[in-house]
Amino acid sequence: MRNLVTPLGLTGIGANSSAGQGRAPFFDWRVGAIALAVALAYYAGAKIGFALTVQPHPISVLWPPNSILLAALLLTPVRLWWVILLAAFPAHLAAQLQSSVPPTMILCWFVSNSCEALIGAGCVRYLVEYPVRFDRLRTVGVFCFFAALVGPFVSSFVDAGFVALNQWGQDSYWQVWRIRFTSNVLAALTLVPFIVTWCGEGIGWMRRIRRARFLEAALLLVALLSVNAIVFYKLGPIADFALVYLPLPFLLWATVRFGSRGTSAAICTVTFLAIWSAGHGYGPFSTRSAAENALSIQMFLIVMSVPLLLLAAVIEERRKGAMILHQRDERITLAAESANLAFWTIDYERQESWMNDQGRAMFDYGPDEFLTRERFLSRVHPDDREAVDEAIERARAKSPTFELEYRLLRPDGETRWLISRGRYVRDDRGAISELIGVAIDVTAQVKANLELRLQRVEMARMSRVSSMGELTASLAHELNQPLTAIASNAAAGRRMLAQGPPDHEMFKELLEDVSADARRAGDIIHGIHHFVRKSEGTRRPVNLNEIVREVLRLLHSDLLGRGTTVETELESSLPAVEADPIHLQQVLLNLLMNSLEAMQSTAAERRRVIICTKREGDAFVMVSVRDHGSGLPKDNLDKVFAHFYSTKPNGMGMGLTIVRSIVEAHGGKLSAENTDDGARFCFRLPLTPQSESVEVA
Amino acid sequence: MSAAAELVGVVDDDQSVRRGLRRLFRSAGYAAETFASAEDYLARELFEGPICLVLDVRMPGLNGLGLQKELEARGGCEQIIFITGHKDVPTATQAMKNGAVDFLLKPFDSDELIEAVKNALLRGKEHLRKRAERRRARGLIDKLTPREFEVLRFVIIGLLNKQIAAELQTAEKTVKVHRGRVMQKLGLTSVPDLVRLTQIAGISPADAPHGTKVHYPV
Repeated sequence: MRNLVTPLGLTGIGANSSAGQGRAPFFDWRVGAIALAVALAYYAGAKIGFALTVQPHPISVLWPPNSILLAALLLTPVRLWWVILLAAFPAHLAAQLQSSVPPTMILCWFVSNSCEALIGAGCVRYLVEYPVRFDRLRTVGVFCFFAALVGPFVSSFVDAGFVALNQWGQDSYWQVWRIRFTSNVLAALTLVPFIVTWCGEGIGWMRRIRRARFLEAALLLVALLSVNAIVFYKLGPIADFALVYLPLPFLLWATVRFGSRGTSAAICTVTFLAIWSAGHGYGPFSTRSAAENALSIQMFLIVMSVPLLLLAAVIEERRKGAMILHQRDERITLAAESANLAFWTIDYERQESWMNDQGRAMFDYGPDEFLTRERFLSRVHPDDREAVDEAIERARAKSPTFELEYRLLRPDGETRWLISRGRYVRDDRGAISELIGVAIDVTAQVKANLELRLQRVEMARMSRVSSMGELTASLAHELNQPLTAIASNAAAGRRMLAQGPPDHEMFKELLEDVSADARRAGDIIHGIHHFVRKSEGTRRPVNLNEIVREVLRLLHSDLLGRGTTVETELESSLPAVEADPIHLQQVLLNLLMNSLEAMQSTAAERRRVIICTKREGDAFVMVSVRDHGSGLPKDNLDKVFAHFYSTKPNGMGMGLTIVRSIVEAHGGKLSAENTDDGARFCFRLPLTPQSESVEVA
Repeated sequence: MSAAAELVGVVDDDQSVRRGLRRLFRSAGYAAETFASAEDYLARELFEGPICLVLDVRMPGLNGLGLQKELEARGGCEQIIFITGHKDVPTATQAMKNGAVDFLLKPFDSDELIEAVKNALLRGKEHLRKRAERRRARGLIDKLTPREFEVLRFVIIGLLNKQIAAELQTAEKTVKVHRGRVMQKLGLTSVPDLVRLTQIAGISPADAPHGTKVHYPV
């Protein structure tokens, strides 16, 4: 309600009515209220205009109605302008009919007044964005030229023409033009900014003002009134004419401290007092003829208000700019603080350097210490120093930017990981003028990554150990075979010796068998050890067929125990992939164990696993394990790779997760699908460019 | 038949184990044959003499227990010793229930195995001997007429001729004739000898009739 006459409120009305919902704009009470307000203001303005005449010859020094109309148009959306004009018309009639002016003249004046307001408002609204505010230099400039100068200038010709046509009054065409022009220019310059700035944003802003500002404003008003009273009332006509500029410091006070709103209010105050006192025969503007007095007041006020309005706009713009800059600065500081960022600039031309507080704390620089490369390098970890220096030098010589990842050795011995990005800025001649940069502390991330990697290695090992547990029976059997053979051979040998001199050839054979079996046992143990130990991932060219065979050897008796046959379809000339063989063994072992478990309820004769290796184009080698088991859960195939997901009653749900993480760590992909009578797991590993050359049969 | 030499058969899918065990058994003075699978052994012609099989439990194809069952069905007289790398109590129990001689865990003490084989062969020999006796006894009994056989079944539960006659509803004299012919045909002179022979042949005695006072022979 309180922002009834604000532009925002008016925009709202326009939007409501144009939306075509509910009532037509004719019946919108807010439009009615605006119309009434405009009419009243117009009428009051006319009355004030009549009052501010310079005697004895009645010339209105300031004619407010036109400016009120102009201000109303500036404040309302264009689609409501007809309402404004319609409302002003009866007010115009009511005001003018009280004088002895013929009705045709009254109508003509309304036309010329409306014309003036429309020209001014049209131009301003065309050139300046809505809502119109007097806090920008461009807006004030456009307003002063088009609304305060061009509008009155053009409309005054029309007005003077009407006067001549109606043969009203005694003044010549140019006299009428001149009087009307100056009075309207003055009215536009003083009243329009005042109305627009004070009515444009409602009264909400007043609540936010601190008491000190109110006091200052009150003080300013009192001072302004006193000075004006002295200059325009107390001083006699004979006083020094230069004294009329005495209010100027107070106007400047208003301009500097209170912006366009304060400026326009102060100008209005001075204008009214000057004209009123002159009209009543006081002050410096009452010495000559009425026309001359009026003109000099007008000139004086116009000359004062234009620069003040412009100055107010400049000051507001600067204030706003400073505020935006400050906000941006605050935001950057906040960002830097929360991200623990260091910003710095080094200006080589002026030999100046700047770094934010975080940065100085991060690099352990004193508050005023000049930033140099040497000083920076002295903070860098000795092992990284050379590389960092080289990277900076490279950026300096060739590419303008650099990005470094390095360690910082703090005085207390702590090591921090940092990433720095910097850019050399060059001037027109190509010489380096400035270095700007940013550094971020990534120690936490680096540590977390390291931790994660260690965890993954440990997890993979644990998984191998646990699959080892599942395999123990199988491996015990595997190991028992050669041991049994050795024990039997040894016992046989002992018996042979006991029975007299043995057959040499036979005994040699026996001993050869013993050593072969011992070797075999050793190989098995070595394989277990190899499999269970922590592998940091030493990659080498690996032939996947070899891996398949090794895993099948390892699983041999487990497969026997489960009555499962494994068929292999291995591509004979498979290129090697760059991989960690133990990890790949684990992948295959896990997939195979998975298949075996899936086939527990499969009929014995159908318990078959098919392992396939294949080369896929130039990019991949594919290994697939297909079983004839229960298949995968139909609803969500991807779920089988998730942590702790298991369909087995005592499964941990880690196997396939680890398989996937290993495959992905090798740059490969693991996929699973259901076949018509089981499931197929498939992983693809990328071929490296050198894979061809290290082809292993 | 009984003159056939003893044989130790080794069935294991692992070649080293087969070679080692063959050498061991030969060094202990046994004839040894090795087979890579249960199927290989089944394909061999039947060995008539005492035979001990050393069987691996886990094998591709037919496993140890399966072979044991198969041999049982075939009515062979193989004495079986299981060897396994896997301490599997249910399997061992099952194997022993099915009549295995021993169940040894790899790697085993060779002397223990030799001892087990020795026992197994003795058992095998005994088994063969009993089987031969039974065959002989049955051969004799098969010569009897059905009426004589019926009389025999009552004789061996200790019925007197009079009682048997009542049971068979015939004259005591007739029973006496039959009884004399049975003893003659079987070449026996006393009732205790007759009882032993029928036991060897595995003949079930007749049910004692209700209210009959049975006089067991001394």
